Formats: sequence, structure tokens, C-alpha cells
Amino acid sequence: MAELLITPLSYEFMQRGLLAALLVGILCSIVGCYVVLRSMAFLGDALAHAVLPGVAVAYLLHGNLLLGAIIAAIIVALGISMFSRQGTIREDTAIGILFSAALSLGIVLISSIRTYALDLSHILFGNVLGVSPLDLWMTAFLGLMVLITIIIFFRPFMVVSFDPVLAFTLRMPVGLLRTMMLVLLALTIVISMQTVGVGLVAAMLVTPGATAYLLTRRLSMMMIISALFGAISSLIGLYISYYANVASGAAVVLTSTLFFLVAYLFSPQRGALWDLMRTRRGK
Amino acid sequence: MKRVTARRKNQNLNPEKEPARLDIINASMGYRGQLVIENLSLQIAHGALVAVVGPNGAGKSTLFKALVGLLPLKSGSIFIHGQPLGNHMDCVAYIPQREEVDWRFPVTVRDVVQMGRFGRLGWVRRPSLKDHQIVLRSLEQMGIAHLAESSINDLSGGQQQRVFLARALAQEPHILLMDEPFTGVDALTQEITLALIDELHRQQVTVLVSTHDLNMAAQRFSQVVLLNHRLIAAGSPQEVFTQENIRQAFSGQVLLMENGAVVVDQCCPPDSPIYK
Amino acid sequence: MTRISNWLKLGIFFVFILTTACGPKEKNPPSQGNHNINIQNTKILASESFLADIAQNVSGKRLHINSLIPGGLDPHAFEPTPADVAKIADSQVIIINGAGLEDWLKKTLDSAGGTHLVIEASAGLTSRKADQNGNSNVLDPHFWLNPENVIRYVENIRDGFIKFDPDGSETYTSNAEIYISQLKDLDHWIQEQVQQIPLDQRLLVTNHESLGYFADRYGFKIVGAIIPSVSTEASPSAQELAHLIDQIKQSRVRAIFLETGANPKIAEQVAQETGVKVVMDLYTHSLSGPDGNAPTYLLMMRYDTQVIVDALK
Repeated sequence: MAELLITPLSYEFMQRGLLAALLVGILCSIVGCYVVLRSMAFLGDALAHAVLPGVAVAYLLHGNLLLGAIIAAIIVALGISMFSRQGTIREDTAIGILFSAALSLGIVLISSIRTYALDLSHILFGNVLGVSPLDLWMTAFLGLMVLITIIIFFRPFMVVSFDPVLAFTLRMPVGLLRTMMLVLLALTIVISMQTVGVGLVAAMLVTPGATAYLLTRRLSMMMIISALFGAISSLIGLYISYYANVASGAAVVLTSTLFFLVAYLFSPQRGALWDLMRTRRGK
Repeated sequence: MKRVTARRKNQNLNPEKEPARLDIINASMGYRGQLVIENLSLQIAHGALVAVVGPNGAGKSTLFKALVGLLPLKSGSIFIHGQPLGNHMDCVAYIPQREEVDWRFPVTVRDVVQMGRFGRLGWVRRPSLKDHQIVLRSLEQMGIAHLAESSINDLSGGQQQRVFLARALAQEPHILLMDEPFTGVDALTQEITLALIDELHRQQVTVLVSTHDLNMAAQRFSQVVLLNHRLIAAGSPQEVFTQENIRQAFSGQVLLMENGAVVVDQCCPPDSPIYK
Repeated sequence: MTRISNWLKLGIFFVFILTTACGPKEKNPPSQGNHNINIQNTKILASESFLADIAQNVSGKRLHINSLIPGGLDPHAFEPTPADVAKIADSQVIIINGAGLEDWLKKTLDSAGGTHLVIEASAGLTSRKADQNGNSNVLDPHFWLNPENVIRYVENIRDGFIKFDPDGSETYTSNAEIYISQLKDLDHWIQEQVQQIPLDQRLLVTNHESLGYFADRYGFKIVGAIIPSVSTEASPSAQELAHLIDQIKQSRVRAIFLETGANPKIAEQVAQETGVKVVMDLYTHSLSGPDGNAPTYLLMMRYDTQVIVDALK
């Protein structure tokens, strides 16, 4: 058994891959609790593609592509906040609009760069098997910053998400806080995506949080449990991908989905199976 | 128009020193391009017990949202404690309509009530013993202490209402706004709510309650504000509930009988097509 | 409400006008085997830039060959824009590599309309076995990296040109002969260069399996590829990468060769772990610009050979 665990680790790329998947798994699943609770489930995928114009512009200006992506993500996040501010349109609508607009802008810009062009999206979309030490440091640093911020701002973030009116009466700067949350999300998504790729990030933002939601009643517990599931799915998924010779990112996603299904059926309070049995017994 | 910004001041406003007075001066408010309330001028004294009534869509919720600072005024101004909105501490508590709350949020009853203390605690300070005591007392007063660790998702309608009442209590506000607290709740909850309102009134908290129940408004409240996109009347129930006022406010929804009885149909907004 | 619906109607009307105005233009159908063909008006399109260069050498000044895919872009993953489709539609002759390299062209050719003569440069060549995950039905299209195969390319193109423009058959035949002898010279030259590499170092690791024919001809062994596929569209699994790393360590390969335009992320990590170097600018799927290192096919092959020899000797 020990040998099964150790063999993949004899490769440096697997060591880094596991670490990266772990870091991203934990980070995204914690931040993703807000995504789940505020119905922004396709924010991950949306932002991942919405950064395209930022990358294109950065490329045209010979600037740092990652920086361009981050700036684009923040702009889109601010846009979402602005459009959904007055309650005129909901957050998911704002996301949909901005994401398609940004993606299209990116495509237009890129198709105009026809000369010696690299595949810009490949530059940005990482691969969990191709993580460099620098990627690892960046993700770890960012992860730490984001987590510290969430801990400090736990209360105001919670109140703003649950009851914005209460936040107002408590004199919390609601608009600022919501924007902050979106910017944090944007940063997390872009840097994680650059390290391990889109599919993995989008799933880690949603599935572990959804799983944790089924198992606990309190937000703080939900985040902890979510992080746990994120970490475990990443580890197990990566090992499975190694031994079954399948795509790594997808294996992690499927593992975390499996956990979700189990929680869905067997959750002590909300499990579908217990519900079924309860109705049967009632008859 | 200026959005109401949040500012924290450190002085503790004592209701006896600075009356929790509400001054609304020529205020107009509404949502994008549509005015819901026009030119409202109203003075509500410190410690008043006010029922805000009017037909559906008259602007009761809109008014409350503006009072809380959620909705910027299109014109006019609002003063609380004699100071413009936004300059005072968190002394206004607001109890929302039950449909507006996200009941699936992972918080327990205790979590929600504790949120009422956050204004004083700020963002990082741990709740003190006193805070825990206040939360416990609020829960007990509302009769939901036994539900403290339950998820809010598992509560009945009346219990949910009481959670928010408890939170408002824990906030120790000077002004309490309740948006339709009697709609769709059981009799027990109604009584508990009324008892709470009386208790707060005794503590000189200014209480504004919006309701559909004209009878209750007339019997249990010392002041009534009758709205229909503008102020129709304000004062004691006897002053406000005249046939003329009621007809103006509820127009086609009202049937005035010869013996002086008034029948009000609460179903639809006054300008809805069924009355045409 | 009526005001809005009026604006809506106006808007739809304008969109309609614009789309019909910018629709595809009518083309004159090309004349095949027609002696009165006006060469000035013919449009010849080659899908890749190296193909265009080879074809230009065959046609000489008689025809002008355009290239579809700009230099530096990956033909495996190429997505034509409307302008590209228009180019294809307007061309009377289209030269492709074939063997699966331009699968995306099939649909485009069908929808572009018009009639064309399609010259498949690699017609008649047998594909080497490209074993992709046990599926041995996959063709390896990278014939052109062995100059011997390009002789067949030249012959196919020559025959195609003659069919299209019989008047020029003498020109095409003599040009083809000259170029073929140049290809043979190139082949000799490469063989000489490769001698400089010690026998145990004639090992190749590339980004994807592109140098198969080159390896076969000049005695290299393909140790592996980052993307174990003849196309760039796949992504390696953890096990495949681990296997590659083991192979590299075992065989003591010195370098990983990446084509221009490849994503170096994974290759760099593999290189770091195994201590080999990454060589970045092999021109395999397209030429460079006129000022670059690989402006023509012949120069491209020379440059690549140089790069490989320098890295491995």
C-alpha cells in the first residue's frame, strides 16, 4: 500500500502536481462557498474565458500575460458588481453578459494577431502536470493572502451574503464588500487556472462547497468541510489518474462529484435516501 | 443623487439626550425611473408607536428601505437623531419581509441573532459575555431559546419571524422598522410580536410597523400613517381613519356602508384593471 | 410599446441588409484542362507555408502560390476565419498535405462552394505506424520532414499543375527535376551532418510525434514525445509523462525539441526533472518569415538539422 502511494511521488512533476492540486483544491473550495451560496456557479468558467481580451492586449503590448489576465478578471468582476448593484439584473445574468462580451472581444483581438502568434489561451491555461516551482510559490502566496482576507472579513462577508439590508443597518460598506469578494474570486480563479487549468478550477469552486452544504448548518463549518473535500478529491483524483492512465484534471473533478453524490444520498439531515425512507414509513 | 455611505462614529447616542426622532422632509423615492412616493413630509417623535398602512404597492416597503438607507432619495431629505441619514450609528433595526430572506443560508438561529451584535462588535472582536447574555435573553424573550442551534431552514414561518425579532432585540436599536410582520404568521407569533412591540415602546424605542390589518392598526397603535404614493394622513387612529381618508387611500377597493362601516378589499393595488 | 417595436423592426431590417450585402460573392467557375486558361487570374492556395514554397519551386514564375495558414500557427488546431474560407472559395487549385493534417479542411471545402482542383501532396506515400494508445489506424502526416518523401510531393504537385495548366507542362517538368535534385543534395547533406552526432546520442524527444519520418531516414530513435500523439490536440496523462521521464533518464537523451508555437509548460518541467535542455525553435510545421531562419523549405530543413546536430553532438 505504501508503495502505491510513494511510486508516483518519485517524479518531481507529480510532487508538484499533487501540491498544486492540493493548494488549489483547498483555496478554490473555500472561496467557492461564496460562489455556491450566491448562485454564481458558472463564475469560474466564465471568468476563465473572460480573461482572454486581457491576455490579448497584454500580448500586443508585449506585457506580462498573467498580469493582463488578472486585470481583465478584475475588470469583469467589477462589471458584474456594477451591473447587479441596484438589483436591476441579477448576478448570474450580469456574469453571462460580461463573460460572452469579454470572450468575444478576446477572440476578435486574437484573430487580428495573425503573425507569429502563440496559442494565447494555452499560455494561460495551466496543466496540473506542468506546474513549475514558481507556479507553486505564487499559488501558495496567493492562497495565503486570500485565506487571511477571508478570515479577517468573515463576519462582514457573511452578513453581506446573507442579509444585505442588515449589513446596511449595521453600517457595513455593502457595495465595497461585495466588490471585494468578487475581486478576491477573480484573483483566485485566474491564478489557480494558470496553475492547474480551467476545468479543475471551475469544478473546485462549486462541487466541494455544494457537498459541504449538505453536511453542515453553519458557514464556518461549511468552509472547513469544503476545504477537506477539495483536498481529498485532489489527492485521490490525482493518484487515480496516475494508475488508471487517464486525464488528471478530469479524474479530480469526477472524484469530487462522487463525494457530492454520496453526501446527497446519505446526508444525515438532507439526504435523498433518508427522505425516501421517511416518506415510505409515513404511508 | 448621493448613495448613503457608511460611517462609524464612536459616540454612543443616548436616546434621552438625542431623541430618536425621524424627520422626513419633502422626500421623493423610487426605483429606476419610477417614483413610488412623492413629496413625503413626516415627523415621527421619539418613542412613537406607529402603524404604516396603505394599499398594496402604496410604497410602505419603499419608505422603510429609504429609512434604512438602502434606497437613495430622489429628492428631499431624511434626518435621524437630527442628523442626516448615514451619519448616525447602527441604531436602526429592520425586520424584512420573510420572502426576502435566503432561508437556505447555512446559519443557525443563534448565528442570526448574534449578527445583531455585530454593529457594536465590529469585524474582528469576539463576542463578550455580555453579548452572549443579550443574545440568550433575546432568544428567551421570543420563545425560541430551544431552537438556538437549529438551522434556520428547519423553522416554521412563525419561528422564522421570531428569529428576526430576536435579532432586532439583540441589536438594541433606537428605531425599529418592521415590514409586514403580521402577514402570514400564526396567532401565537402575532401575540409575541405585539408583546415585543409594547415592551420596546415602554423602553422608548421608536417603532414603525407596516401592516394590512387596519383593525389592529387602529387598536394597538397610538399613531397611524396612511400612505398611497403620498401622505394621505398622519396622526392618531381616530384622526386618520375617516371615511374620506380611507376612500382616498383605497379608492375602488373600499365599500362605504351607510351605517358608517367600511369594507376594504385588500387584494389588489388600487389602480389595477379589475377596478376599472 | 409600439415605439419600441418600431425600432426593433428597423433594427432587424438593417441587419438583414448588411448580411445580404456582405454575402459570398459569385465566382467564375474554374476551367479545368481548358487551353485558354488565363494564368494571370488563377489563384493557387497551399494550406501550409512549406507546401507553398515547394509548389512555388515547381511552378516557377508561371504561377503564384499563396499560403493559407500563417507562419507560426499550428495546422493541427487551425480554425479558419471567414476571410480564410473566402480565400479557399476563390482558389482554383488547393494544395494540401493530406493524411489527416487538414481534417478541418473537409468541411470548409464543402461549404466554401465552387469547384477546385485539390492536389494532395502526400498521395501515394505509405504512412509509418503511429501507434496511438493501441490504435494503429492513425496516419502520421509529417512526411515532409524527410526530403525523400518531398520528392513524391513534387511529383504530385507537378502532375497536378500539368492537369490544371497543360500549356505549362514543360516548365513544370523541368522545374520539378531541378528541385528534386536539390532535394537529393539536401538529403546527402543531412546524412553527412548527422554523422557528427555520436551513435548513442541519436535520440529524439519532441513535443508531439512529428519527427518520425526524419528519424527513420537518418537513423534516430524516437525516445518519446510530450504529447504522445501525431496531433497537438491531446494532453498527456500522468502515467505517460512518468513513462517518458523514465525513458529519458534511461536513454540519456540530451535535449527535448519543441516546435515553434508549442506550449513549453510541460516540456520545461520534464526537462528540469531529467536535467535535459529544451530546444525551442525547431521549424517543423511552417516556415519562418523571410528574415527568419527558415524562409524556404530547403533552408528550414538545413536549419533544423543544424539545431538538432548542435544540441546532440
